[in-house]
Amino acid sequence: MEHIRILIVEDNQEQSEHLSQMLENHGFYIAGVATNFQEAVEMFHHKDFDIIIIDIFLNGRPEGISFAEFVDVQPNGLKPFIFLTSATSRDIFNRAKLTKPFAYLIKPYNELELIYAIENAIEKFYGQDNSFTAEEENTVISQEHLFIKKGKSLKKVRTDEIVYIEVEEKYCNIMTVKEKFVILISLVKILELLDSSKFYRTHRNFIINILKIEEIIPKDNLVMLEGNYKATLSGKYKDEIISKFRTLK
Amino acid sequence: MYCKSKINFFYVIFFLTSLTFSQNVSVYDKLINSIEEKTATLKKDADFQKVVTFLAASEWDSTLVYSSKILNTDTNNQKLNDYIFFFRGFSFFNKKLYNDAENALLKISNTFDFLPNTLSKLGSIALEKSDFKKALSYYLKVEELAKTQNVLVRMDRVKHNIGLCYLHLQKFPNAEKYLKESRTLHEKGKDTIQLIGCYGDLATLYYDQYKDDQAIPLFQKAYDLAKTTNDFDAKAKTTKNMAVVEENRKDYLKALQYRKEYEQWKDSVNDQNKIYAVAQEEKKTAVEKKEKEVAILKADNKVKDAQGKMYLYSAIILFVMFGVSFYFYREKVKRNKIIHQQKEDLDELNATKDKLFSIVSHDLRSSVHAIKTSNKKLISKLETEKSTEVNSLLQNNSSIVNSAYTLLDNLLNWALLQTKQTHFEITTLRLHTIVEHVAYNYKAILADKEISFKNTVAKSEFVLADSESLKIVLRNLLDNAIKFSNEGDAITIYTKNNDTEFCQLIVEDTGIGMSETTRLALLEDTSLLAKKQHENSIGTGLGMQLCKSMIKKNNGTFTIESELGKGTKIILSLPKKPT
Repeated sequence: MEHIRILIVEDNQEQSEHLSQMLENHGFYIAGVATNFQEAVEMFHHKDFDIIIIDIFLNGRPEGISFAEFVDVQPNGLKPFIFLTSATSRDIFNRAKLTKPFAYLIKPYNELELIYAIENAIEKFYGQDNSFTAEEENTVISQEHLFIKKGKSLKKVRTDEIVYIEVEEKYCNIMTVKEKFVILISLVKILELLDSSKFYRTHRNFIINILKIEEIIPKDNLVMLEGNYKATLSGKYKDEIISKFRTLK
Repeated sequence: MYCKSKINFFYVIFFLTSLTFSQNVSVYDKLINSIEEKTATLKKDADFQKVVTFLAASEWDSTLVYSSKILNTDTNNQKLNDYIFFFRGFSFFNKKLYNDAENALLKISNTFDFLPNTLSKLGSIALEKSDFKKALSYYLKVEELAKTQNVLVRMDRVKHNIGLCYLHLQKFPNAEKYLKESRTLHEKGKDTIQLIGCYGDLATLYYDQYKDDQAIPLFQKAYDLAKTTNDFDAKAKTTKNMAVVEENRKDYLKALQYRKEYEQWKDSVNDQNKIYAVAQEEKKTAVEKKEKEVAILKADNKVKDAQGKMYLYSAIILFVMFGVSFYFYREKVKRNKIIHQQKEDLDELNATKDKLFSIVSHDLRSSVHAIKTSNKKLISKLETEKSTEVNSLLQNNSSIVNSAYTLLDNLLNWALLQTKQTHFEITTLRLHTIVEHVAYNYKAILADKEISFKNTVAKSEFVLADSESLKIVLRNLLDNAIKFSNEGDAITIYTKNNDTEFCQLIVEDTGIGMSETTRLALLEDTSLLAKKQHENSIGTGLGMQLCKSMIKKNNGTFTIESELGKGTKIILSLPKKPT
């Protein structure tokens, strides 16, 4: 599991420190802190991050909105961003709204509100509303990552690292080479959202990463996976899986 | 003068002559009847009949027009033409166009039925032209014809005229003979005027031959006869003749008398004419006057009409103006009422604001003063290094600052709400999350005051509201709940979901509660600020007012249930997310 990486655009050092502190306390990683538009653009291009928190007012001007507008027009690099503001002025809000922010965070905010805003932004960005905020689920799935809510924090797991997923009723056990953990998500949804060219069902309860297969033992109905994991191969899915490989006979 | 008087007589002569005098029907009428009888068999042409009719009616112009029409279309029938020419001659004569008349009459053939009339007419024309020889020849022909046939001509006049012609031609014996004949015929016909003329002519005849003895009695006779008539002309002429006679007899006195009488008659004639003319004039002027009056009356009527219309229009305009002004007056009254109402409202609002301002300032000053004194204590404690007391003092400061902050926050939000500057967007909200977020800030205080807190709102509960304003409301409610609760009390936030459209969010505490009057005062819409009931807490009632306004703006309702000593229940009803 990795930390969620956050880019902060905030001119007030005290406030950015406060924000950084709060985020770090909850297991987020601060990818960078920009204090003006120029810096923000610079960091946008060179830093690796998952989400941006933008203060609308930078040095007394609504530069934050300009930056959001800049982010909006990035062809491939669009990232979720959150507006941070103390002003609930209607004019500013209406202008901010045009950039389609994924969440607002209104000062003064507490930790819950901050994390909620981040969760909200990720949900909205990936079009999976109520994934974190509802009780039933705790995961948002993108092409590259699983964003998992753990307590009051968020973590992410690269989908490449997943070896297999074992479904147990409402839960899914995610197995990577290094660790295993449980997420709350329905099988239907996980199948729908995961890259179908990599992940295949081998059994009613098993989804495997086809790239992690080391050996298939049809007679034992077993698939040997990386990290000494074994997954059951049921008759229903056997042929489909085998057809993916050139078998030596 | 003498001669002139004689010539005057000639003009008395009538142009139509007749055979007999005794008959009442005039010779002229007889002639017309005869013509009608004769022409009835001649032609049944409509135009011809018209000509005859017009002739009978003495309408000369029409006669001429229609006769010329006939002449233009039909000229072959000699007999018809004779009649047409006769009619035309007749008409021309009566119009005094003697040359035309003569020309027309000369075209008539000798076989014409009314040849004597034609000749007599020609004679008259010649006489008019003073061509006595020609006239004489025509009249003699008439006389000749009269001897052989029955002619519709007044023979007395024919003879008179013959006599006259002879007289003018100085053939006195012949003149005498014919005049005498005509005299007898006149006497027979009792034609007084003609008789006077005849006497006059005879007298002139004798007078011209210097047979004064014969002439004078005749003059006298004519004069006497004229006296019996009403003919001023005849009177004047006979009198003048007498005057001339007396003058020649050198009896100037008599002559003068006659002359005077003559003048009188002449004047009478003139007068008559004058009177007639004057009467005509008067008639004319009277008519003109009348016309003028009529015109004036018409004009008057027009003016009156116009005036009437003007009055009507003015009345309408006035009425409309009155209506309009009345309408505007009412509008003005209405507006004034509204303005007055607004003024009252504004005054009230201003008073509220002033009060709010003073209370807020007072409270803030108390807070700051408390921190000031507390800080002094802190400094002294630090000097004596009593760290445990420092801690409690800092705790106290923190709570004071928190209260002041809440107050300021509410003040700001109130201002923003009043000026409608704040962003307001109703969205679907998960109530549980909102409550959690708000409550998070109070975790420390709750723990400190040892007040238990529970948020039992289900995660599936959604409402339609603006998140920021709802948070402000919840913050205030929680703040109040904590403020009015003591150690060991409990605060619970939960929902009641009985309604299909509204979700009830309840903030319940087991604190000190409030009296009914306070409760009602808090719920009152225009409520001023509640008095401070709790010495240690800063309260202006501003928070409650803010909550009510914001809930109202979120289309919700706000109610309070409370009992002194038992606790308070604040119930918010918010619209649910439509399913």
